[in-house]
Amino acid sequence: MVFLTLPCWIRSRGPDRYWKVQELLKNARHFRGRKNRCYKLAVRTVCRAFVYATKARKVKRRSMRTLWISRIAAASREHGLKYPALIHNLVKSSVQLNRRILSDLAITEPRTFQALATLARARQQEGLRAALGDGTEPTAPEQPNPRTLLQLQQNQDLQPEMY
Amino acid sequence: MHLSYSAIPLEVLRSTVRNSTVKKTHSCVELNAGLYIPQTSLSRPPWPELPVLDREEEQKQHRAVVQKVNALIENGEYGRLFAVVHFASRQWKVTNEDLILIENHIEAQCGDRIIMEKVLLVGGEDFTLIGKPLVSCDLVRVEATVIEKTESWPMVHMRFRKRHRFQRKRIIVQPQTVLRINSIEVSPGLI
Repeated sequence: MVFLTLPCWIRSRGPDRYWKVQELLKNARHFRGRKNRCYKLAVRTVCRAFVYATKARKVKRRSMRTLWISRIAAASREHGLKYPALIHNLVKSSVQLNRRILSDLAITEPRTFQALATLARARQQEGLRAALGDGTEPTAPEQPNPRTLLQLQQNQDLQPEMY
Repeated sequence: MHLSYSAIPLEVLRSTVRNSTVKKTHSCVELNAGLYIPQTSLSRPPWPELPVLDREEEQKQHRAVVQKVNALIENGEYGRLFAVVHFASRQWKVTNEDLILIENHIEAQCGDRIIMEKVLLVGGEDFTLIGKPLVSCDLVRVEATVIEKTESWPMVHMRFRKRHRFQRKRIIVQPQTVLRINSIEVSPGLI
């Protein structure tokens, strides 16, 4: 390599720096202050913005679910039921509506939500009745006598095993 | 020794609670029949008092409701119907002329007509059919058309760890499908 004159040392450092910078700055145009114009400041802020967006997409699912749950709880309390009672009894009645749909129904279809609440209450009362039974005091079940158990076991050992 | 409701026999409790008529005077309370039990934390059981259940009456009422709903559906006295449909592992609350955006690819071409079979709930203004867990195909029919199959806007997945020179950037583009719900039809087949 023989560079005899100064102009031969001039090389292209990359023809598209301007476009790469603009591609990053376009993500920063809605920021406040110098970080929407100056590349050095924008690089850091845009990186943080992308990271926050990535994390928020995961958190959004959790926060939406808590929102739905609080809405369903409020609507079910209007009908005299609590949220765990409603959900548990709907599950026991094999109604597989999810919380998003239940909250939408509570907002836009109040009569349907009332029907679901009455269904859950009926199932709850059925369960209570089944648990209470006749109203008699429960008696202890007969404990098997260990002597009779031993005798049964011995009888089984003595009998020839048929294949 | 633990306190139990066996201290007050259950028959007495039930008879007093059901048959008694209480005059709300401050000093003296008279009852028609049975003992007087002042209300304390242990005077009645902690479970709520359930209403009296008559199986035959209940079944009569159920049958009346079913006949009413059947009559409504047969005469067509319903306006706009809505349905809750399970599709693409999500539940959608859907009416006629609705647009649905699904964030994945569907094995159907644009313009194909689709029937959604997993219907969890159908409702109108005066009645709802709640499926346990699904409403049968004989009762409901939900039809949809595939309108558009596109991709989502390019989402940026960025990972960054400070002070460790770790930075990864990835662009994710999800396939999307747009469906238009054409009709929801109910047929009178309730028993």
